[in-house]
Amino acid sequence: MDPTPFIGLSAILFTIGCIGVLVRRNAIVIFMCVELMLNASNLALVTFARVHGNLDGQVAAFFVMVVAAAEVVVGLAIIMTIFRTRRSASVDDASLLKY
Amino acid sequence: MTTLAVSPLLSESVGDFTKPSIEYFDLSPLLIIIGVALAGVIVEAFVPRRLRYVVQTLVAVVGTIAALVMTVFVALGLEPRGDNAGFGAIAAEGAIAVDGPTVFLWGTILVLTLISVFLFAERHLEGGVTAFAGQAAALPGTEAEREASTKGLEHTEVFPLMMFAVAGMLLFPASNDLITMFVALEILSLPLYLLCGLARRRRLLSQEAALKYFMLGAFSSGFFLYGIALVYGYAGSMNLGDIAEAVSGTIGADPLLLGGIGLLAVGLLFKVGAAPFHAWTPDVYQGAPTAVTAFMAACTKVAAFGALLRLFYVGFGAARWDWTPMIWVVAILTMATGCVLALTQSDIKRMLAYSSIAHAGFILTGFVGLNAVATPGTAELTSLQAVLFYLVTYGFMTIGAFAVVTVVRDSSGEATHLSRWSGLGKESPFVAGVFAFFLLGMAGIPLTSGFTGKWAVFTSAWQGGAWPLVVVAALLSAVAAFFYIRVIVLMYFSDPVGEGPTVVMPSVLTTIVIAVGFAATVALGVVPGPVLDLAAHAGQFVR
Amino acid sequence: MTAVQVVFVLLSLVAVVSALLVVTTPHLVHSALWLVVTLGAIAGVFLVLAAEFVAWVQVLIYVGAVVVLLLFALMLTRAPTGPQPDLTVRRWAPAAFVALLVAVLLGATLVAGFQDVRLDLDQAVVGSAEVTGETVFRRWVLPFEVLSVLLLAALVGAIVLSRLRSEDGDD
Repeated sequence: MDPTPFIGLSAILFTIGCIGVLVRRNAIVIFMCVELMLNASNLALVTFARVHGNLDGQVAAFFVMVVAAAEVVVGLAIIMTIFRTRRSASVDDASLLKY
Repeated sequence: MTTLAVSPLLSESVGDFTKPSIEYFDLSPLLIIIGVALAGVIVEAFVPRRLRYVVQTLVAVVGTIAALVMTVFVALGLEPRGDNAGFGAIAAEGAIAVDGPTVFLWGTILVLTLISVFLFAERHLEGGVTAFAGQAAALPGTEAEREASTKGLEHTEVFPLMMFAVAGMLLFPASNDLITMFVALEILSLPLYLLCGLARRRRLLSQEAALKYFMLGAFSSGFFLYGIALVYGYAGSMNLGDIAEAVSGTIGADPLLLGGIGLLAVGLLFKVGAAPFHAWTPDVYQGAPTAVTAFMAACTKVAAFGALLRLFYVGFGAARWDWTPMIWVVAILTMATGCVLALTQSDIKRMLAYSSIAHAGFILTGFVGLNAVATPGTAELTSLQAVLFYLVTYGFMTIGAFAVVTVVRDSSGEATHLSRWSGLGKESPFVAGVFAFFLLGMAGIPLTSGFTGKWAVFTSAWQGGAWPLVVVAALLSAVAAFFYIRVIVLMYFSDPVGEGPTVVMPSVLTTIVIAVGFAATVALGVVPGPVLDLAAHAGQFVR
Repeated sequence: MTAVQVVFVLLSLVAVVSALLVVTTPHLVHSALWLVVTLGAIAGVFLVLAAEFVAWVQVLIYVGAVVVLLLFALMLTRAPTGPQPDLTVRRWAPAAFVALLVAVLLGATLVAGFQDVRLDLDQAVVGSAEVTGETVFRRWVLPFEVLSVLLLAALVGAIVLSRLRSEDGDD
């Protein structure tokens, strides 16, 4: 079987995640879209591991999941702090900093 | 149509596990810093609250000095390797390259960290507490927060968090494979996201800075990761040496490689704050506590440029002609963005942020320079040498300048609005003079380190044949000089608005930081020779 | 089409459709639930690729921990359960631009990158826990250990941001 469909799927998911980050307004949903992007990368890594016949890509995907878990912890802590201060998780309301 | 053979080793090697070899001596600076961070966490758990501040500061300072001493020993023990004038070794099963540039960057980061610890520990300016929130979880303006501030609560956890970030910074430019680089990037970033949100004053601004930095940081690390995947798909290995081999074995441009280079560059250029990935820089630099801004502006940039250099020179060195045009565009865009937008700023921290963007552009100019080994005795500069030198000069100037920002205050904390700085020359000629000197250094006036740094990167870029870039860079330096001098004029030749700024006398800690920054800026401007030689002796990256 | 290919096509359809729903649904909570479906489908694709260990870790960490954490966060931020028309901004121009850029970039690599590579899905190199573990602890031991430091840093930081000290200020 051709690896192209696998990489294609990962590219499509990455693009969808990317659009999601740009168009969504809730910080938590934006964060979900980032997770989608990371997962798409994992899919590419695992496919390439298969293509090259070594395990490096799979190990990398495993590492990425651990990193993602740590990122979720930090991200949600920051989002919750902001929410408690201003009662909203919308990124557009966070606008004290102007260009 | 080729059927890929699957390595039979995978199934057979199970069972006879060989212990991985870890070169503890070569890695000792990194391990010490991780140890300091862990010690900080333990201190937090077991030492009584009133002693914690002192103990944490001592642990951080002593640990950083120990790591610095070990860095010197590691540097002295480096052995020649390969045929390209490199020194050092590959350690930890290929995960880390301990070579000349690594050790140079480790030294730089650790010295800058040491003086940043002093800024973190400054308690005099806020009346006996640090500049970090007393109780980050308490809402601003509530009873809990007032209680926290009357009790003089402070978050001493900032010291271990800072040390975690430093561990990431040490690992980042030393990583010899893409996965270690990714892990280092994250361990560098996550504590910084958190530290940004911990300001005692203007908490909303600080929390927003943290959110913005986090969101954009996570987004960019997604791109970095997909870049890793593509390069791995191209080379079949995460190791930079193997990637270099695959790159030099390719004829013509492989789209998989080009895509990978592009996406990896997005992630790294985001961290160094280069345009068009700079949008976070002004907001985060403004919102974060100034001590964190100083630390992050100096050390993150050093670490990220180190990683950028290693990845592109070692991994993609043979594809140089493919990525040089991209760096040209980014360099010009970055310098222009930094210099032009800095003109319009009315906040001193934002202005310094745009100035740091412009500096990233100047460093990128050196980055495309001539990457060759200089023959001894000639004045030829390698681009690696030039960039390493520039990073040192930039780091000291930046920390010094932000340290001055912390002492100019009014009733609501730091007086960061530019209008509050007018007439500072009359109020406090000394502080204004020091700040003016840092600004002149950043502008690149002769006899400051900024001039030698710019001279170094421009020379190396010129020798590398990038003369149009150097011309653009020189013109934009002139624009940049204008906004630095505008602040100096404001400080000396304008009358104070209202009651004017006050300069609060800091404790000895911030004084040391300002003095060290000042001394380094003078010394590297007047006698740059020793540090330039040191950068030259660092040699090339090993693979 | 072989059975494996049929399974792959079905899984990828599920993954793409649910990913689109994550990005477009006006319900916050639905977004998280559709994410579970996407991640589950990707775990299935990992199994097709014989990455056993990674697939189960995906189910455990992502579906089991990360999404649950996200749902908790949605609850704690009092996310409304009804549809929210203002959840998506009308910022389609830059989004379309970036999407186009990413799609062109990735598309080009796809078309050009894999003309002569074939995957043999029957020849199994199973990424079982055993071989993955061996690779992690031999070749990747340093980044793996550093990951533990990363988790500790995240833990300490999250506690700093969220924990209120007890009444008398002692802990």
